[in-house]
Amino acid sequence: MEDTGPFIYAASVIGAVALYILIAPRTAWGRTLKAAAVIFGLGAFGYLIQSSVNVYTADADQPAGILFIIFSVIAIASAVRMITHHRPVYCALYFVLTVLSSAALFLILEAEFMAFALIIVYAGAILVTYMFVLMFAQQSSTPPSAGEEHGIALYDRIPREPAAACFVGFIMLALLTSTALYTPKELSPPTAADSTARLWETYEPMPRRQVKVIRLVGEQFSEIEADDIIAFNDPPNRAVVLLDGSEVEVVLPADHLPSNIRTVGMDLVYKFPVSLELAGVILLLAMFGAVVLARRQIELSEDEKRAAAGLGRLSDEEDEEPAPPGGSTGGGA
Amino acid sequence: MISTLTLAEVVPMSGLSLSHFILTSAVLFVIGLVGFLTRRNMIIMFLCTELMFQAAAIAMIAFGRFHYDASGQVFVIFILTIAAAEAALALGLVVLLYRRKETLSTEVWSELKET
Repeated sequence: MEDTGPFIYAASVIGAVALYILIAPRTAWGRTLKAAAVIFGLGAFGYLIQSSVNVYTADADQPAGILFIIFSVIAIASAVRMITHHRPVYCALYFVLTVLSSAALFLILEAEFMAFALIIVYAGAILVTYMFVLMFAQQSSTPPSAGEEHGIALYDRIPREPAAACFVGFIMLALLTSTALYTPKELSPPTAADSTARLWETYEPMPRRQVKVIRLVGEQFSEIEADDIIAFNDPPNRAVVLLDGSEVEVVLPADHLPSNIRTVGMDLVYKFPVSLELAGVILLLAMFGAVVLARRQIELSEDEKRAAAGLGRLSDEEDEEPAPPGGSTGGGA
Repeated sequence: MISTLTLAEVVPMSGLSLSHFILTSAVLFVIGLVGFLTRRNMIIMFLCTELMFQAAAIAMIAFGRFHYDASGQVFVIFILTIAAAEAALALGLVVLLYRRKETLSTEVWSELKET
């Protein structure tokens, strides 16, 4: 493992150079160079993925899952397209694609509630709000000023110091990958039995649901009716119940495990109640802030109002007939 | 977290592990960082910070799955909350700044620098 160190850094360098080729606005670079940069960048990422085998898995002879590769490549490619596109609305749309592919990665990680919450809240609310503001601020009704080309502003076409940014990106990528791959070997992954024990812990503060689960166990036997549950999940994945005066140890059924949304809900309310309340307070304060920011009126001068509406300056039109009465109020603050 | 199998057994014929997802998260974070340093459009810079939030969310869900703990997903809920609050306030500020100078570029505000 340790001898792959230089190749990890080489892969990071290739990735950073590929990113620089895609960002920097040299028109002399043809499309073939950019296509080669895409291929080399994805190849570098693929090498990093392959070299991360043997770190946390027991059997490491198999390649990474095809679904994981598809969705992570889509996520990274759309993220790169997001930061290089010259039209801001397309950037927001590519970011929506990134959010959708990371939601698919959540599904691979069996966090289905978070995947749907991500799509609904992030792609459905936050990014749509961003697109509203982008379309509001990208009005092309004003005539293009100097430096614009086909209606695209200068600050969107030309990036700011791409070489320095890619260098910083390479350093960050090298740091993160070396930390992710060179951790001490004593970290061993938890076994599958720990997983069910952790899931049964969700029901520990819920005695009625424990009784319901024990009744489901008892359906296999005709006369079991738990009088008292002595220990739930105390030997992991087992419960000790009081049956006809004697203690019986029953195996908790695996098909009645709590689902993901039940586990997340219980953790949210049982283990993090203060954080839940504070999240509500933060949202309330954000609403206050948004209302205060929207109330502020900016006094534009008469010339600025007329320029925003597309009319000429007032001093130029002294000899012409007066403007229509609704003209200066249309573009005001 | 319905399955009781390890991560390598869930997706068949796959050697998926924690570090795969950590690498994806790191690459996405670095792409967001480079985009934030490179772009000059105010709203696109905020979108790049949201991309960094996404990368952190992927890392947290991966760690939560690795330890079979739901705390990773709970913290991602809080990340979504903070991202929503930040988006609301940031877009309000950007709209105000746009009303002043009629442009989304950050370079017209260079008078806020020290020198």
